[in-house]
Amino acid sequence: MSTQQQHPVLSLRNLTRVHGSGATEVHALRGIDLDVHPGELVAVMGPSGSGKSTLLTIAGGLDNPTSGQVFVEGTDITALGIKGLAALRRRSIGYVFQDYNLIPALTAAENVALPRELDGISARKARTEALAALAEMDLGQLADRFPDEMSGGQQQRVAIARALVGDRRLVLADEPTGALDSETGESVLALLRSRCDAGASGIMVTHEPRFAAWADRVVFLRDGAVVDQTMRSDADSLLTDRAAQR
Amino acid sequence: MTTWFHSWRAAVRIARRDAWRSKGRSFLVLAMIALPILGVSALDLTVRSAELTPAQRMERTLGAADARFSDARTAGVAILQDPEGEQHTPAGDYNSPGKSWPDGPTDVTKAIPAGSTVLTDSSGTAKLTTTHGLLQTEVRELAAADPVARGIMRLQEGRFPEKNDEIAATTRFLESSGLSVGSTLTARGFDRTYVISGSYELPSDLTTQQVNALPGAFLAPYAKAVEKAGLPKPDISTTYLVKKAGGFTWNTVQAINAKGVVVTSRVVALDPPADSNVPLYQKEDWANHESSGAADAAAVGTVVGLAMLEICLLAGPAFAVGARRSRRQLGLVGANGGARSHIRAIVLSGGVVIGVAAALVGIVLALILTFALRPLLEDYMGQRFGGFTVRPLELLAIAALAVITGLLAAIIPAVTASRQTVLASLTGRRGVRRSNRVLPLIGFGAVLLGAAIALYGSVVSDQFVLVAGGSAVAELGVVAMTPALVGLFGRASRWLPLSPRLALRDAVRNRGRTAPAVAAVLAAVAGTVAVSTYAASRDAQSLAEYRASLPSGAVAALVTEEGGRDVPEVRDAVQRTLPVDVRADVFRIAVGKPGCDPHGEGEGCGRFEVVTPPANKCPLWATSPDGSDPAEKYTKEQRRALANDWRCLLPDGNGIYVEGRLLIADAPLLKVLGIDDPGAAKALADGKLLSFHKPQVDRNGTVGIKLITDPKAANRAVEQNKPVPGELKSFPAYQVPGSPDSYGVESVLSPAAAKAAGLTTVPLGAFFSTDRMPSTEERQKLDAEIAKLGSNVELTVEQGWVDENRLVLLALTVFAGLVTIGAAGIATGLAQADAEADLKTLAAVGAPPRVRRMLSGFQCGVVAAMGVVLGSAAGVLPAVGLRLTEEREQMRFYQEDLANGLVGAGDASPHVPIVVPWETLAALLVVVPLGAALLAALVTRSRGALARRAAH
Repeated sequence: MSTQQQHPVLSLRNLTRVHGSGATEVHALRGIDLDVHPGELVAVMGPSGSGKSTLLTIAGGLDNPTSGQVFVEGTDITALGIKGLAALRRRSIGYVFQDYNLIPALTAAENVALPRELDGISARKARTEALAALAEMDLGQLADRFPDEMSGGQQQRVAIARALVGDRRLVLADEPTGALDSETGESVLALLRSRCDAGASGIMVTHEPRFAAWADRVVFLRDGAVVDQTMRSDADSLLTDRAAQR
Repeated sequence: MTTWFHSWRAAVRIARRDAWRSKGRSFLVLAMIALPILGVSALDLTVRSAELTPAQRMERTLGAADARFSDARTAGVAILQDPEGEQHTPAGDYNSPGKSWPDGPTDVTKAIPAGSTVLTDSSGTAKLTTTHGLLQTEVRELAAADPVARGIMRLQEGRFPEKNDEIAATTRFLESSGLSVGSTLTARGFDRTYVISGSYELPSDLTTQQVNALPGAFLAPYAKAVEKAGLPKPDISTTYLVKKAGGFTWNTVQAINAKGVVVTSRVVALDPPADSNVPLYQKEDWANHESSGAADAAAVGTVVGLAMLEICLLAGPAFAVGARRSRRQLGLVGANGGARSHIRAIVLSGGVVIGVAAALVGIVLALILTFALRPLLEDYMGQRFGGFTVRPLELLAIAALAVITGLLAAIIPAVTASRQTVLASLTGRRGVRRSNRVLPLIGFGAVLLGAAIALYGSVVSDQFVLVAGGSAVAELGVVAMTPALVGLFGRASRWLPLSPRLALRDAVRNRGRTAPAVAAVLAAVAGTVAVSTYAASRDAQSLAEYRASLPSGAVAALVTEEGGRDVPEVRDAVQRTLPVDVRADVFRIAVGKPGCDPHGEGEGCGRFEVVTPPANKCPLWATSPDGSDPAEKYTKEQRRALANDWRCLLPDGNGIYVEGRLLIADAPLLKVLGIDDPGAAKALADGKLLSFHKPQVDRNGTVGIKLITDPKAANRAVEQNKPVPGELKSFPAYQVPGSPDSYGVESVLSPAAAKAAGLTTVPLGAFFSTDRMPSTEERQKLDAEIAKLGSNVELTVEQGWVDENRLVLLALTVFAGLVTIGAAGIATGLAQADAEADLKTLAAVGAPPRVRRMLSGFQCGVVAAMGVVLGSAAGVLPAVGLRLTEEREQMRFYQEDLANGLVGAGDASPHVPIVVPWETLAALLVVVPLGAALLAALVTRSRGALARRAAH
């Protein structure tokens, strides 16, 4: 792919994470290396406890690695303080979780505008940007609805819009379709795919092979280590094989 | 700056919507802050509205006149007055020995400048006929309809009198007399009748019962009629309203003062002279004492601070619940780049939002209520407002208090919430935070420091502010120690059954949220315990200090006016209405005309005194010929010794006061007073004077009564330390043995003996003993009967000591109970927000729904119990401190008095007990945790966790 030649948006270098110590020691990640380039959507798969979510939280600066480095747009975020990490999440990284992504007290537009407002942009400007982001994703009609007035799929799409508002180019999605039925899930992934095609980058944790098919690349984790990496074309065949095996 | 502002806007928006989403909790906190704000702002509005401008004040006293001239009653000598014309004193020095104080009327009219318009304003009193009987009323002769008087009286109905047989009356008089405009009235023993032509009110004194007549239409003819009946002429005082172009400046006023006339001038009131230009203030003892505001401000500041502290402690947990419940939301904000400051801002905004709302609600309600209830408030204060005065700056300051309170209450929850890692908030993981080890130590230090300050304040420096401030510090210290103390409570959990064990473990493991809830309960209980301990101690003191006026259930009804004309009717009224057993008629000695009042100084009136032989006079008080203080001759030690001398026995301040402390009565009086010495009754029958006061009786066993027919000469003699002229009558005395309590009566003489000695006696009234304590209904009936007579009756019914604080204490306990249950409820909410996962697990392992209820109940009860125990301890401290302060102060006064020879043998040293209200404490300790637990168990949905999950 042409995108491979550009600088990666996210680079993980020899990343390890150990929870607990002594007898309760658990190695969640063991020396992970991973690059995500602009326009690329990477799916992370693996069984429970393989370290998928830990990978995502460390990549977004919500958790610190035991060793290794995390570069977001060239900055080593492991060297940043709490304030720096918060600023990073405001400006560079967007999160989408399995459910309850939106702040119940805010409308869709205000939810999308939140990172910009927290960044100190004036409320009016932030709202204009948010409305533009929503309109671009065909979600303009939801702008003034509160989360409890939206369906799960609509909420997830608004969450994606929020993850990419402003200058943010990296979406970290933790099972974004986990709480949705398959049809709605497809529509959410279609949106994520289209945003990546438009230049954003994304990492998505999922255990549904069907959804992993939307990714450019699938990374398989087991016991905290990458056991396999497939390009999209290969993944398709791989997935079909595995599906057949079941 | 703008960045900061924009991110706060987002925080405020989230907080505002959150507050709206959880209406119940928000309302609770809002009410907690808004209620005191409502009270304070209503008070501010009322006080400011009731304050009059000088112009308004002058309109109410002067009408349209420029000044009011009144007689200083200094026999025309020059006087000095204050700018308001409220205080005055002779200009010369009349205090030194040998000089007699100037006393006598001045012809005010001579001081009125030529060419002025003058209105007379005279007043006296009369017994007016009403539909119920007679009513002692002020009669004011003023041409109220004259333009010069406009503003003094406000016409309500009809018109002011225009003819001599017309009268106007205040609305209050019409209410209590049962008369109305158009009725006729007259006065007792007066042959003229008057038609009520209208009603009016005095804007600065709405409670006055007054009637208004044209000058000369009532008082003079009435005085003549009274005199004809052989009674002393009623006093008529006249002032003059003067209108003169240019008014009266301070210089003019001072010139008029030289003629012995006091002037209240509009010009001076509007533009008062500096204190240095007021000669009165330069005189010794007359300096203008405006109380220095600093001490008051400190006291007010302390009270406001304490109230804010309590509210913060109460409201804090509510914000903590909010922060807990929206933890996932705060985590999401964090995931979207919200820094710790943003999280703090959101929770703090919750406080600001509620604070602003509370300020708005409180102040708007105060404005509406004060405006709507203005007539009621005016009636209550007894005066019309000058206007509806709104001081925006003061209201703004009160509003700021509300916002600051909200903000302060949210600080700790905000900091706690912001310390959570984003990941923990998002996953709902409850990392058990190690409790801070330093905080309890700081708390312990604060408790010691606070207690030390409070004790220093109470034992060494008797300053209320120090006691209150120290107590507040100590209370905060206890709050800081709560997590550690909660841990101590946890040790007990091992022996408990499942639900309470789970509740206690949960409370102990999550000290972070248990502590603020316990602190809230603690705050509520500490306040109540402080107030009720203080009140119970005051009660114990007033019970100990209580001196009965009469034996229990006994009644005295005395009439001193008009020569006892109404005495027979009054005696009958008491006998008819109350369960009377023994009636003892009493008389008094009258010197001069029989119609004179005791101590009356009218023409032909005299007085008497029971003589204390010089040898029996207390050396500390005996007058010395040079007028110096006799006590100065003695050292402090001698004064202390003399204070215990029988000659220095002060007359008992309690009991019934009668002239000369002497009654003319027969043996039944002894029965009513409970004097059962058989010798006393016999001595009385034998014509002897019974003495209950040893110093009266001279060496020969007699008591002298001096009849003073010329009181003025007597006063002069007293001023000059000469023997008082008068006729001395001596009676053989019987000193009643064993000094029984005679309730203020020092001597008793039988009517026969008085007559035999040539004394004139007049009926005074009667003493009664009763079969049982008169009921409230009987007392009301008696009051009504007496009111019909229009007589000035001194009525005493001895009911024993009445506990006036009981209701207050009860109300306080109930209030604290409710607040405590509310606080415990909030705490349970907090626990439930946290324990959702545990409950799901419990349900999953097959615990019946009942367990969920039980768990909630115990969680609530555990918090309430811990709060009540700690709060009781924290509340006793300030109360004890305050009592110690009072004791110290009173002891100091007592010691000073003792050293100065001001204390007599009868005065006990002050007794300031400290009483802990165990009943209140017990009620709080048992009822509140139980009530809280039951309530929490009842409101908990027993099946919720699983059902809700299934619904998703």
